[in-house]
Amino acid sequence: MTLSRRDFFKAAGLAIGGAFIATESAQAKPDPNEYAAMLYDATMCVGCNACTNACREWNKTADEPDARLLYDAPSELSADTWTLIQLYQTEAESSFVKRQCMHCVDPACVSGCPVQALQKTAEGPVTYDQDRCIGCRYCMYACPFHVPRFAWDTAQFPVIAKCTLCADRVQDGLPTACAERCPTSALIFGKRGDLIADAEKRISENPARYVDHIYGKDDAGGTSVMYLSGVSFDKLGLQDLGDKPIPEISEGTANIILPGVLIGAPILLGMIRMTAKRGGWEETWPL
Amino acid sequence: MAALTRSNKSSIPSAFWPLLALTLLGVGLAIYRLVVGLGVSTNMSDHYPWGIWITVDLFLIPVAGAAFTISLLSYFMGREDYHSIIRPAVLAGFLGYGVVGVLLFLDIGRWTQFYNIFVPGYINLHSFLEEVSLCVTLYTLILVLEIAPVFLEKWGYDVPVRWIQRGIFVIAGAGIVLSMLHQSSLGSMFLLMPHKLHPLWWTPALPLLFYLQAVYTGLGATAIAVKLIWKAMGLPIDRVIFRRLGQAMSINLMLYAAIKVGDWMGAGEVPMLLRPDSFGLLAWFQFLIGIALPLGILLSKLVGHTSGPFWAGVFALIGTFIERLVVSWIGLAEPNPVSYFPSFTEIFITIGMIAGAFLLYGVVVRYFKLFPDPEHAHA
Repeated sequence: MTLSRRDFFKAAGLAIGGAFIATESAQAKPDPNEYAAMLYDATMCVGCNACTNACREWNKTADEPDARLLYDAPSELSADTWTLIQLYQTEAESSFVKRQCMHCVDPACVSGCPVQALQKTAEGPVTYDQDRCIGCRYCMYACPFHVPRFAWDTAQFPVIAKCTLCADRVQDGLPTACAERCPTSALIFGKRGDLIADAEKRISENPARYVDHIYGKDDAGGTSVMYLSGVSFDKLGLQDLGDKPIPEISEGTANIILPGVLIGAPILLGMIRMTAKRGGWEETWPL
Repeated sequence: MAALTRSNKSSIPSAFWPLLALTLLGVGLAIYRLVVGLGVSTNMSDHYPWGIWITVDLFLIPVAGAAFTISLLSYFMGREDYHSIIRPAVLAGFLGYGVVGVLLFLDIGRWTQFYNIFVPGYINLHSFLEEVSLCVTLYTLILVLEIAPVFLEKWGYDVPVRWIQRGIFVIAGAGIVLSMLHQSSLGSMFLLMPHKLHPLWWTPALPLLFYLQAVYTGLGATAIAVKLIWKAMGLPIDRVIFRRLGQAMSINLMLYAAIKVGDWMGAGEVPMLLRPDSFGLLAWFQFLIGIALPLGILLSKLVGHTSGPFWAGVFALIGTFIERLVVSWIGLAEPNPVSYFPSFTEIFITIGMIAGAFLLYGVVVRYFKLFPDPEHAHA
């Protein structure tokens, strides 16, 4: 009886573990250098907010006007504001900084989403499918850049909202709406690999102008939106996250724990039970 | 509790009406939340996307884990003396998970498509939240099977009761495996937040810590419940069970303490503990009240008295509550902190659902056979 039960669990465990490994190896990763990407050079940005407006027009998001209803004045990302320009300013230095989804090469939101409502597309954008989303908001905590926002004020069936890297435009070979509109070319659109080469060239030609770092080239495992800046990145709210993809530890643990417990625990239980049947516990373990 | 379980069947226990009122208030507010949405009914925001419901769930799951620990001890380790507390523990587990399920359902914004977590093409096996959702659902079904004989035998369905009894090792075994998975995965959920969760709590060992915590918290909750219920029902208290609960608890507390201290030292976080900020103090408080104090009680002679494991359980539960509170709420830093305190609706939905669970527990105790007859209690 005990043996057959053990065999049953073992077989079931192997089947589940096998299926897990199969789905794992089925996904081949595209070359990140081929991803659609943007480079934002903070030293060239004049803070005109044309990008915010272009984003509103293309994605049809509502204005967030100031108290006198005179000016579209969002101060941070929201369900309606998917990109905006913020200003860091002290007496010594100042810089604009653009905010939007970073479109990580290995996104934590995609890794965490229980229902694959967030996906990393082959072209590079991280997209969202509201027909799958259950509204659990785990992505908001998973994202190290605090990007996904929730439409709290929608009474029924609120959505998660964030920049899509204009996935619908990129698919048709168009640049993102914000990059297309930027009047100073502070924001440019292109292939990730080309933009990295461009950024490296700018730093080497003008080392005094820039901090010697392309934020997003390797940070958090690499992102599709990358930054050049004249002031240190942490002052612009771009934290040092290390070079490892955020989901690494979580996914590594999932790969061990799921098959491990599903196969190991039934075997362990069988052994515990057999030991108990022989009366072994009474002698060896005083509990 | 005492008033609920009084065996005098002629009068309605005094706790019934207030519990019923709180439950009805909770149900009404739950409907209100579903109609008006999360923005109006709760104080959650983009800075605090999770509120009191998630924190309460993270605390209730290890407490309701009592059912799984007792199943392991009694069915698989051959501890016959635990049999008298299986039924009360499993029912408490089932109602605990019921509250968790209702609160989660109310918490998700797009609740009309909650079933997407079961759609094979959507399931993300890398997501620990998905794993927790699936395991909790399956485990709740297992608890239904484990508790079903209480009702089936009363209503005279003997055949299905025999089926369940025959398959109890497979049923309970599956429940234990599912519990090991989701109790640890609750901790794993926060592995995705190495830069957000406070470093004194974030560690790659979170799954192991949460699992061990679930075991000792479940045992502690059992010690508390057994003492209160047995006393209220006037059953003779079996000291052997208490000593064994206490010893099993102490082993898991020691493992937890060793891993926690080892992690703090290994990650070089000890200086953070010596800084007089609120997180350093909170970590000390959690460790001293929630780990060291119960361990001290259980390693002393007090383990032989019923009050020893009882108080160890109380302190361990306080510690677990602090850990779950920090991990799901106050330890998840945002760059521009906006304060969060739950709204009236959030608080009274939570209280209402818990009151409803107590109410149902009382009803089952009153009308079904949950506890052994006094003459068998010593067996």
